[in-house]
Amino acid sequence: MNQSASTRKESDRLASKSWLKSLFARPEIGPIGVMLLLFGMLGYFSIPAGEFSLNPFAGEGFNALGIRNNLRVIAQLGIIALGAGLLIIAGEFDLSIGSMIGFAGACMAMVLRWGFAIVIPYISFEGGMHVEFFTLIHITDISPIGAITITMCFTLFFGWLQGYIVVRSGLPSFIVTLGGLFFLRGLTEVSLRAFNHRPDQTKGATTVTELPDIKNIIDVPGHGEMERDAAKALSEADLMAILKDVPADTIASLTERLQYTAQRVADAKTQIMAAKGVKPLERALENAIESGNTVMADTIRNKIETFVVTPTVPKEITDIDVARAYIDTIGSARPVANFFGGDILQPIFDFLYFPVDWNTNNFGNQFAPGLYSCVMIWVILALLCYVVLSRTQAGNWIYSTGGNLQAAKANGVPTDRVKISLFVFSAFCATIFATCQVFEVNTADAAKGNLKELEAIAAAVIGGIVMTGGFGTVVGIIVGAFIFGLAKEAFFYIPGIDGSFYRVFLGLVIIASALLNENIRKRIMGAL
Amino acid sequence: MAANTTEPLIETKGLVKNFGSFTALNGVDLQVFPGEVHALLGDNGAGKSTLIKILSGVFKPTEGEIFVEGEKVSFTSPRDATGAGIGTVYQDLALNALTSVTRNFFLGREMTHFPGPFGILKTAEMDRIATEEMAKIGINVADPNQPVGTMSGGQRQTLAIARAIYFGAKVLILDEPTSALGQKQQMEVLKTIRKVQQFGDIAIILITHNEIHARLIADRFTFLSLGEVIGQGTSKDLEGDDIKRLMAGGAEIGDLAKELAV
Ligand SMILES: Nc1ncnc2c1ncn2[C@@H]1O[C@H](COP(=O)(O)OP(=O)(O)O)[C@@H](O)[C@H]1O
Ligand SMILES: [Mg+2]
Repeated sequence: MNQSASTRKESDRLASKSWLKSLFARPEIGPIGVMLLLFGMLGYFSIPAGEFSLNPFAGEGFNALGIRNNLRVIAQLGIIALGAGLLIIAGEFDLSIGSMIGFAGACMAMVLRWGFAIVIPYISFEGGMHVEFFTLIHITDISPIGAITITMCFTLFFGWLQGYIVVRSGLPSFIVTLGGLFFLRGLTEVSLRAFNHRPDQTKGATTVTELPDIKNIIDVPGHGEMERDAAKALSEADLMAILKDVPADTIASLTERLQYTAQRVADAKTQIMAAKGVKPLERALENAIESGNTVMADTIRNKIETFVVTPTVPKEITDIDVARAYIDTIGSARPVANFFGGDILQPIFDFLYFPVDWNTNNFGNQFAPGLYSCVMIWVILALLCYVVLSRTQAGNWIYSTGGNLQAAKANGVPTDRVKISLFVFSAFCATIFATCQVFEVNTADAAKGNLKELEAIAAAVIGGIVMTGGFGTVVGIIVGAFIFGLAKEAFFYIPGIDGSFYRVFLGLVIIASALLNENIRKRIMGAL
Repeated sequence: MAANTTEPLIETKGLVKNFGSFTALNGVDLQVFPGEVHALLGDNGAGKSTLIKILSGVFKPTEGEIFVEGEKVSFTSPRDATGAGIGTVYQDLALNALTSVTRNFFLGREMTHFPGPFGILKTAEMDRIATEEMAKIGINVADPNQPVGTMSGGQRQTLAIARAIYFGAKVLILDEPTSALGQKQQMEVLKTIRKVQQFGDIAIILITHNEIHARLIADRFTFLSLGEVIGQGTSKDLEGDDIKRLMAGGAEIGDLAKELAV
């Protein structure tokens, strides 16, 4: 400001910033570094000790199953982190996310299990004063989409209500949603007990089990809709009948695949047997050499050279096997349940197994059937959020609502509507999380989602979201979810250390990120 | 500059504003002409902010009338005032320091490819307009994507002024635009005001404490004291001493000196 008079203009000062400096002013750059470090750690440490390999996909962290499981954890967190992060950018918090997950899962499972009813309580005086219930409507056999819709009505309304209270009262959202946290968790437990053990409410369990595996309900030719496992367990005659209508080339390719699998399994067995057979001999040879018994050593050496393992004979593929494999290929008759709880990218994972031979476990079988569907849902949501936040009018409104509320209001931005919408979106993300979980595992538990709100906020902070609002990106939120999800796995594989160190690590990362974010924010505000 | 020959762009007649039993304004008449800078001067508490808040639709006057281009108007919200062509640049400037020049320029009035809040921003076009509009009043932004926080106070003023003009302000109200700035940036802002003055069709109401600035740039002066106009005139009408005296709320410099001597 107080420069000596010169020909330099104010605008020249910005131009002198180097590209390197502007790269480091990007809020995501630190987190991306940490993420890459964790990727490296997971790849490196998950390779079994002694089996040196430069191929990071060799270890458990990035084999097919590792990718499937790790991405699931990351995607689940990523979904709620989007809701939490956008809301923080607009200057508010949602502590009710975890309880909302529990509530939504329970609500959905209960509707799927017992249907939906509107019941009106009233006081009856017949035979002494007591409360009676009048059932206005009761719909059973509700489809997945119906259950999701009913649940969304509740959760989105609750999200709206929290937002409405916050903008109307001017109370900190921290307090309002803290109320939501306890309220929803309590409501979930109370209703689950009530439904599980009517009329003695104290005895009921706070879970919903015994849901069918809805995503795996298929339409079996000649038998109608049934669960996949039940179809595979049909009698041999039934299975043969089903196979009769299957085209020949389908049967041929299924048979080829099954034969490949049988061969792989047999090969794996042979290898294991060989290793088992030779290993004791090798140990004996070492002993013999050490003790100087050359005769013995020669004998053992000879034995090792002539050691033969009779190769395991591959299992014969029967028509029954082919029929069962065919049942595995029948698409779900509940596409919505399958969309949320099923698998994606199966063809790629099949291809990686046969013929690429990577997606294979120790026993020669296919390792992972695909990725969890929640990964795809996360990708879709993240793309939408990215476009909205950085490319649309709504995005500018979100930034300004959190960045300078008064300025946004003065320029006609409907800040109350922005905030309420984001509370609703946060509830939406929590419900999506719960939907995926319910259809993946076919159960619900009142304890689901515990502490998830804090994880979501942590992921957002790690990803460069500033807690005071107005600053952050969707890319950052995604990276934050990766870091949070990867840390646990990466530390688990470090030899000789307690796995819980990942929490220590995350704690440090959270504080470091918050400091870094604040520094970047101040630099942009012109205070540094 | 255009003088009395034209119609006033905005005119108030007998504006009164009471806050309960307290009279903040007591019959204020004001005429502001296109192409003119009208300095509104007065001590703290004189009622300057109250007057411009009435003009910009924040307060409703208790009594009196406002005319814009000869037509009587009545504002119930700031939106009404903006719609009538009155653009107010407040001291805090209503800017979001964390986002870019362009995003601030179009805040609340973004240009999108299809309507609705989820319309995709026309980034390139908005960048171009923001840069052009700011260049028109004398500031070359190096990069329309730079965060406003990295701009100087003077540049921020310019951004807020350019924004108000672009979105149709015929009357530009500037509330102490130089008060929080360093010397060099104060001059930058005055230059900006001069540019707008030279457009010839925009009337500027400039609230300031700084007598030097007022004298440098204003064509006409109104002095408020205790909610009333105690002096009005063109720069020619008022001698230097008058301005000093009126700024002090009508007291003679001599009186003040006496007061201090006690
Ligand atoms: N909203 C209000 N309620 C009550 N009194 C007010 C309000 N706004 C301003 N005033 C009073 O009106 C008088 C004029 O204030 P203001 O217009 O802010 O003066 P200036 O901007 O000239 O310093 C002050 O005495 C102030 O206390
Ligand atoms: Mg004031």
